[in-house]
Amino acid sequence: MEDSRAIRLVGTALRCYPARWRQRHGEEAAELASLLIKDGTPAGSVALSYLAGAARERLTPRPGPRLTAVACALLLAACSLCASAGLLASAAPARAASTVQPGGHPQCRPVSSEQAPVVAHAMNRPQLISWEAGHDRSC
Amino acid sequence: MSKRDSSDGRDLLRRVGESSVLILISLADGPKHGYVLIQDIKELAGVELGPGTLYGALDRLERLGLIEPLPTDDRRHPYRITVPGAAALRVHLDSLERVSAAGRLRLQLGGI
Repeated sequence: MEDSRAIRLVGTALRCYPARWRQRHGEEAAELASLLIKDGTPAGSVALSYLAGAARERLTPRPGPRLTAVACALLLAACSLCASAGLLASAAPARAASTVQPGGHPQCRPVSSEQAPVVAHAMNRPQLISWEAGHDRSC
Repeated sequence: MSKRDSSDGRDLLRRVGESSVLILISLADGPKHGYVLIQDIKELAGVELGPGTLYGALDRLERLGLIEPLPTDDRRHPYRITVPGAAALRVHLDSLERVSAAGRLRLQLGGI
């Protein structure tokens, strides 16, 4: 293989590494490749080794500021989810009780006089009110 | 380094791969840079390390504190084995020796 073509091939493989890796090892890696090719190692084999190394480098997770930030974000999301769930759980009885008020929801029909006893009877079971009052969905 | 040293006799190198162990063995007699490491490993073990494999193993060993780069103005970065690296290599070689001895003994007993 021509020298210039081999150098281009290895250069392409080296560009697949993350920037921080290239900054640290880039020059030495290019020099090492040219020495190995001069010794008779096929340029394709050197390029392939660098390509595999680049893939490993990108796929291997490293502990660092980025990972810490992701971990913090996940923790924050989990905390807010727990807080929301807690708020919803504490607000649920109040929301259910509010459905007995006629006209509280635009789609709720007012309770007629003949339905009033049913509603009154169901006061202790708020989740049944919407059915017994004739609503087509839960308010 | 308390978690990573080999003072408790644990074989830290069991899972780092053959190339990392070969690099540590090569660095055991003095600092070397990439090209010399590849040549030395080829000579001592008959294994041709690819340059991509070499840099991956060097980074891993450095993260584990088993080797360290030496300061240089040259573009070639020599590495040297650290004290915990030498201890880890010793533990690993002892473990290999025990396994090797057991294997030879069993072959002898089996008469194969």
